[in-house]
Amino acid sequence: MKRGSLLFLFMWMVLWAQGQSSPEALKLLKGVTEKFNKVRDYQVDALIDARISFLKILPQKAKVFYKSPSKFHVESKGIAILPKQNFDQLFTLLNNENNFMAFVSGAENLNGIATTVVNVIPMSDTSDLVLAKLWVDVAQGLIVKSQLTTKANGTVLIEYFYGTWKTLALPDKTIFTVDVKRFKIPKAISADINSKATQEDKNKPQKPGRIIISFSNYKINKGIDDKVFAK
Amino acid sequence: MWRNTQTELVKIFAKPRSYIGFVAIAIIVSLIHVAMYVDGLNYISFITGPLESAFNIEGKILNGNLVCFIILQTLIIQIPLLVALVTGDLISGEAAMGTIRLLLTRPLSRTSVLFSKFFAGAVYVFILLVWLGLVSLGIGLLIFGPGDLIVLKSETITIIPAEDTLWRFFAGLGIAFISLLVVASFSLLLSCYSENSIGPIISTMAVIILFTIVGSMDIPLFEKIKPFLFTTHMVIWRNMFDQELDYNLICNSMLMLVGHIILFLFVAWYSFRKKDILS
Repeated sequence: MKRGSLLFLFMWMVLWAQGQSSPEALKLLKGVTEKFNKVRDYQVDALIDARISFLKILPQKAKVFYKSPSKFHVESKGIAILPKQNFDQLFTLLNNENNFMAFVSGAENLNGIATTVVNVIPMSDTSDLVLAKLWVDVAQGLIVKSQLTTKANGTVLIEYFYGTWKTLALPDKTIFTVDVKRFKIPKAISADINSKATQEDKNKPQKPGRIIISFSNYKINKGIDDKVFAK
Repeated sequence: MWRNTQTELVKIFAKPRSYIGFVAIAIIVSLIHVAMYVDGLNYISFITGPLESAFNIEGKILNGNLVCFIILQTLIIQIPLLVALVTGDLISGEAAMGTIRLLLTRPLSRTSVLFSKFFAGAVYVFILLVWLGLVSLGIGLLIFGPGDLIVLKSETITIIPAEDTLWRFFAGLGIAFISLLVVASFSLLLSCYSENSIGPIISTMAVIILFTIVGSMDIPLFEKIKPFLFTTHMVIWRNMFDQELDYNLICNSMLMLVGHIILFLFVAWYSFRKKDILS
């Protein structure tokens, strides 16, 4: 872990000294962003299934609205739990090559898909994102997995599954895996005097939370009123 | 028996203290409604804080269902006092006023008198709970509207869809009714041993507070006692707000509560039959 961090730091310093990203990485990312850039706006039905150890919630239907370059809104009838990272956040960063540095760090086979691993480092000091590791399907020009390391929310792993709209880099399903802390509040506050947490329960390692979002019924480039995002 | 119960009900509602419960509930609920309306989101952030540190929460969190749940949770300590105020006075009040002698010279068995008083107390509890449901849920929904309910437990958060909440509130209030009948029968029992009303009312509350404290402490010795304390089972109404209901646990607790009611009524009946009313 320590060695990995040092290697990463070294690579970052080399790239910083050069002041530019690797051309191979940029070419790959350009292929990815070009697809998404064809999308001016979209609205899609989403089914949000949050599987977090301390949270008991049924899958929730919602509507997701996006308008280029960075307007994003989720509308749900009930309460929905969503990851902190929006779907479009990564593309917003990748759209401007001056905003980040990127380099290829290897190749991996993900469930039979040949991918190239690209590391992306935002140039801005104020950005919440510290590092994005992207697994890019070279043949399709799609991000199939990303690992985002953020200042505020730790590391988030996102897996993308494409179907009908892969030509526009819009996934049919995404799975977010987030590290969650153990949830605990005093019994007196929750008025839950009968709860029993055994020592065994307390010692169990906390499982990461997963949020599975399935998308259907995309309406792309039909125009969306700005009022939708003001809600 | 029913005629006598009606008479007892008239007696209950003729006393000003019987309305304290209704007024207290109205005031407490109104205060919570106003506070939630003005600054509810701040208060709710305390509940959602741990979740919001890792996730975004979309949707209407502050709604009538949540406010009603908070009210029920808050009033669970106070309602038994309001019940004991009336039911603790049923026998001892008569003894204090000297009317018990007159009452027991009527051609009615002592058993009939005692159970008429208990049934009248039960009707009072029922009306009090209907009032609580009406002002907390009814007015809550009018002010805040419906929405999914966030239920906070010490180690979990449960979110129940809005359309799945109403029957749970009714079931919860039903269980609360049985729980409060335990309080009513217990205070009636104490009332049989007392010549004034204050003793049974204070004693009932003292026992409830003591049992609640014992029940909320995670000490191995108390763990063995807890299943036998009626206060442990009185909060089972909250289990109606679990995602998947544990019917075994709920039925066991209901049986324990009914068992307590029968036990308290039996002891009350036994002592009341032999109660010396001449001294």
